[in-house]
Amino acid sequence: MNISTGFKRFLQHGNMKAHDIPVWIIGLIVSVLWIAPFVWMISTSFKPPKEVMTKEIEWFPRHVVLENYKKVFEYPVARWAWNSLVVSVTSTALGVLLGAMAGYALARLNFPGKNLFFAVLIASLMIPAEMTIIPMFVGFLKIGLSNSYIALILPTIANVFSVYIFRQFFMGLPAELEDAAAIDGASRFGVFWRIALPLARSPMIATAILLFTLNWNSFLWPLLIIFDEKMKTMPVGIAAFTPVVGAHTQMEGFGVGMAGITLLSLPSLLIFFFLQRFFIEGVSRTGIKG
Amino acid sequence: MTFTVVAIIFGAYIAFNEWGIMGAPQWVGLANFKAAFTDEWVAKAFTNILKYGLIIVPGVTILGLIFAMYVNKRWFLSDFVRAAFYSPNVVSATVIGLVWVWILDTQVGLVNKYLNMIGISNIPWLTSTQWSLIGVSIASIWWDLGFSFVLFLAALQEIPSELHEAAAIDGANGVQSFWYISLPILRPTISMIVTLQLIATMRIFSQVYMMTNGGPAGSSVSVIHYIYTTAIIQLKLGYAAAVSLMLFVVILIVTFIQQRLIREND
Repeated sequence: MNISTGFKRFLQHGNMKAHDIPVWIIGLIVSVLWIAPFVWMISTSFKPPKEVMTKEIEWFPRHVVLENYKKVFEYPVARWAWNSLVVSVTSTALGVLLGAMAGYALARLNFPGKNLFFAVLIASLMIPAEMTIIPMFVGFLKIGLSNSYIALILPTIANVFSVYIFRQFFMGLPAELEDAAAIDGASRFGVFWRIALPLARSPMIATAILLFTLNWNSFLWPLLIIFDEKMKTMPVGIAAFTPVVGAHTQMEGFGVGMAGITLLSLPSLLIFFFLQRFFIEGVSRTGIKG
Repeated sequence: MTFTVVAIIFGAYIAFNEWGIMGAPQWVGLANFKAAFTDEWVAKAFTNILKYGLIIVPGVTILGLIFAMYVNKRWFLSDFVRAAFYSPNVVSATVIGLVWVWILDTQVGLVNKYLNMIGISNIPWLTSTQWSLIGVSIASIWWDLGFSFVLFLAALQEIPSELHEAAAIDGANGVQSFWYISLPILRPTISMIVTLQLIATMRIFSQVYMMTNGGPAGSSVSVIHYIYTTAIIQLKLGYAAAVSLMLFVVILIVTFIQQRLIREND
């Protein structure tokens, strides 16, 4: 009696009917399997080297040790992380700011060639970044800017997605408030900075999260333009732990590699779990019209 | 953006030159393109991105839709499930590559150990010409799925539940309700996901670089990976730019054909 009312309440609470239960359970199993690689990564990273390659499958380490993490820090990982942080934060801040300014201009101002400008902007979404990578590589090399933060930051700040999100937002925002401020004598930039931008909090957060993840995870460009071990970003630095292109894993074993990528994925995963709503909002916004 | 335009023009110019890093570019006309058309590696790379597309695009689209439909039911714990399905999408290629190299390892990998339990002998996922492209594709589907999943979820939430309720009253079962109500409404979303995912897949690089470095014997090499090799390792910049231009044209053609197909169907 008690059990059956409890079950009913559970179904009601979970928005389910009794015949939904099997599908519900299958879905849960699939989702747990889906994150199993992460569990395996973290678990391996805490195993002592001798227990990494066991005959039986051991989902949890018999002994939890920090040996792998200590080995990781024998490489300039802290420096790589710092590089990544500097580059991602600067790129994101500038990307959001420039995107907001350009988006605002496209939504509010009338200037000759505006429509053409917007059309070219959208068209450039279709152009693969790799199309520009060889000429950019040559360009940066020739002006002697390889191995620098500028080389990592400069190509990322004019982000089309960012412009697009802000344009859509400002188009949908009634202009009355800004008009009132303009009548009170505020300059065009003052209106943007004091009135429009504070209202754009939600697209700002969504864009910032999107750009930060994009910049933090950026791979091909930093791989090309950085030759100095000390100037590498974290994804590129840690990539040398893969057995096919780097020698680190063969020397150190998978435990160290897993410790490295656990550290690397931590910021992204943490930001994601705390700010999930914004991620999903950002992707559906850009994706649908992008 | 001016940046992009200038870079593209410069890139197109380089494509008609022979150029190492040192010295001045030398105008060679169409020689780079001629060489590319007879280069067996170019042929291999373009065939491979087609194969990647044939595995990854349907994988991501179909699984993404199924997962989104499940989460859209808003059953108990669906917030957790949503986060789980999306989470691989937020980590970098380095994480994807390394974790799957470990899981798909022939001798000590998790997948083969479980396959052994059900009597399947070790599959050389990343170390044989037969399997390497499939191994990389598995990791790619895991990585890319979050994107299609979220877009499908957003589209599904737009469908008013009254439509399905009305259909149920008229005696439609779940399959019919999906086939005649959800699917037609989802058509634009599906075609958008297929287009974007196909373009993304034709540009596949970092997973390939991390997991197989194009090997063995070029069996998993992609076009961008080949561009990387020719430009950075062999320092043939003009040639690499020519191959980039070819990839660009192929992507444009694919996008164009897809847009036409979508329009004709409507």
